[in-house]
Amino acid sequence: MSAESSSSSSSNSPTSVANMNNVSALFQTAKKYEELNVIGTGAYGTVYKARDLHNGGQIVAMKKVKVPLTQDGIPLSTLREIALLRQLEAYKHPNIVRLLDVCHGGQPLDREQLVLFLVFEHVEQDLDCYLKRAPGPLSENRIRSMSFDILSGVDFLHSHRIVHRDIKPHNLLVTSSGRVKLADFGLAKTYDTDMKLTSVVVTIWYRPPEVLLCLSYNTAVDVWSCGCVLAELHLRSPLLPAATDTQQLQRIFRLIGRPSEREWPADCSLPLASFPPCPAADLRALLPRAHPQAIHLIQNMLVFDPAKRLTALDCLQHPYFTDNPNL
Amino acid sequence: MPYWYYDKKDLQTTPSFQDAISNETENRYRKEGARFIIDTGSKMDLGYNTVATGVVYFHRFYMFHSFRTFPRYITACCCLFLAGKVEETPKKCKDIIKVAKSLLTEQKFGTFGEDPKEEVMTLERILLQTIKFDLQVEHPYGYLLKYAKCLKGDKQKLQKMVQMAWTFVNDSLCTTLCLQWEPEVIAVALMFLAGKLSKFEVVDWNGRLPKHTAWWDMFVEDITLELLEDICHQVLDLYSPQTQASGGESPPPGAAVQPKNERKPLPVTPPASASPVAPVAAKLNAPTPIKNGAEKLLPPKMDMRFYPPYVYPPVPYSDYSAPPPTSMPPASLPPPPLPRPPLVFQEPPPPPRYPQVSVPPPHYFAPLRPPPPRPYFPP
Repeated sequence: MSAESSSSSSSNSPTSVANMNNVSALFQTAKKYEELNVIGTGAYGTVYKARDLHNGGQIVAMKKVKVPLTQDGIPLSTLREIALLRQLEAYKHPNIVRLLDVCHGGQPLDREQLVLFLVFEHVEQDLDCYLKRAPGPLSENRIRSMSFDILSGVDFLHSHRIVHRDIKPHNLLVTSSGRVKLADFGLAKTYDTDMKLTSVVVTIWYRPPEVLLCLSYNTAVDVWSCGCVLAELHLRSPLLPAATDTQQLQRIFRLIGRPSEREWPADCSLPLASFPPCPAADLRALLPRAHPQAIHLIQNMLVFDPAKRLTALDCLQHPYFTDNPNL
Repeated sequence: MPYWYYDKKDLQTTPSFQDAISNETENRYRKEGARFIIDTGSKMDLGYNTVATGVVYFHRFYMFHSFRTFPRYITACCCLFLAGKVEETPKKCKDIIKVAKSLLTEQKFGTFGEDPKEEVMTLERILLQTIKFDLQVEHPYGYLLKYAKCLKGDKQKLQKMVQMAWTFVNDSLCTTLCLQWEPEVIAVALMFLAGKLSKFEVVDWNGRLPKHTAWWDMFVEDITLELLEDICHQVLDLYSPQTQASGGESPPPGAAVQPKNERKPLPVTPPASASPVAPVAAKLNAPTPIKNGAEKLLPPKMDMRFYPPYVYPPVPYSDYSAPPPTSMPPASLPPPPLPRPPLVFQEPPPPPRYPQVSVPPPHYFAPLRPPPPRPYFPP
């Protein structure tokens, strides 16, 4: 063996250009999975049901995300987000959907975009279907346990500095044993760049006022969305359906009351006067079957000022849950 | 989820090995690649985390690919490029290539092909797929500092010990330790080594429980002395000219491959048959390194930007015949309570480039203060 490194690299190592093209087979790793059918098309990509050919044919959900490439390859934000998702996975939180694999497909030499596949455990139904299929109102215990699952998952994300930003029944998966798992989080920045390319309508029913008003936002957005979902568990239909941003705000104010001048944020471009004054509605009347503590919890999640909203952790410690330990 | 730890057998039957590259050559390639990432990273002012992440990517990559298929320096650039983005210290691809060009011979840079940037960008995808998008990597540095905070004793000596352990962690990147053991274990082992060499004996620590027989029991369960010594030897081997002989003939069979502890991830203990005596004995019989001649036998290439000159290489004090300094224990003290042959080099060859090493111990440590300005040091 020639031990001089330079000589060995010339003798052992062929030039790399030819080589890399030869190993284009390496890009075929998405072939580990056999696509079965499309589960859904969201704003950010398509989700397929697929079979994992390497793991006894287990059924998985594959989310395909197209990442536009930059001058310096794969965007930092996407890499950061994938790294974080993988890191979260180490905790195997019971209310977070399992991320099984990440791989990429597409043309190996495509300089424009990278097709990324996120492979998740497959859960048969989401909360949206679950509520639609439910033959009648959910039992109080079921509602409580599902509410707790959702908030546990959200609190877990928040404790890792992740804001979900899009909590809605469609993104909450219900397992066969009735546990709820959060899905579709952690790629917010990747989506932002990708979103311009899609024209899919995004539901706004779960959006908090600060997002509708284009103000800065934080983890409190998720608590608002959870409040809407918790109410929906009782109602089995959306609490605040509206068609446009303005209508959505009006809808919200009809429920929680229009904020006072004092509460209205100074940096808001819309004047308060653009909304007709209205008092708060009685949530108890809207959710007649709900436990009084459930009403209290939801009321304190649907608060106009994000700073005054409960945090996810506050919610978990609310008497609605702590007074009923048999979750 | 991917599992990134291998036992010694896996490390000997790598894709490169199956591609007719000997273990010795592969280890040298790994060392050169890692050193190159460290050098490039430090030249670009990247922090130790980014550099270490890049090196771990590099080692993992070659558990799936052969050095023959993927030339090491371009892979190294790509690993550093990706690590920069993941650790949020991004560097432009073309800047990394520029630095690489300045550090490599023309011949080595030739492996980058006609369009080096394109090569690196294409390789980025292969790298991502190979490391399975498992981008977040933990390193021993954080654990080292965390553990050190719990130890009681003379502050100055502790600081010296940490400094030395930190250097060992830097150097451990040139070994395959990150493919064998969790960062916690490596941190414990190299603190153990630094403690021996700097004569900092830990007798008490915060959080001590009656069941603890040594300080590390508090952090890693079921760690054995054999395991610690095996890890230490793998790092110390970097400084031994035998495995270091990058330019020489093939080393005698078995010399480069550390015997023989079957390693399994903790908490499995090595089999009783494993004896750490063997490697030491082998070294004792090795030819006197310094006579092996030629600049090729220099100790591991040392990066002055990373290491305070006097700390490196860690010369065993037990070999000094100079009068002991007042601050040091008298020479007549019993040797450190190692049940096995002490962790010293048989022959501590002070490299010709660092004649300072031969001065008596007091001066040996003096230049350590103030702490070096580089980010490669513990804060």
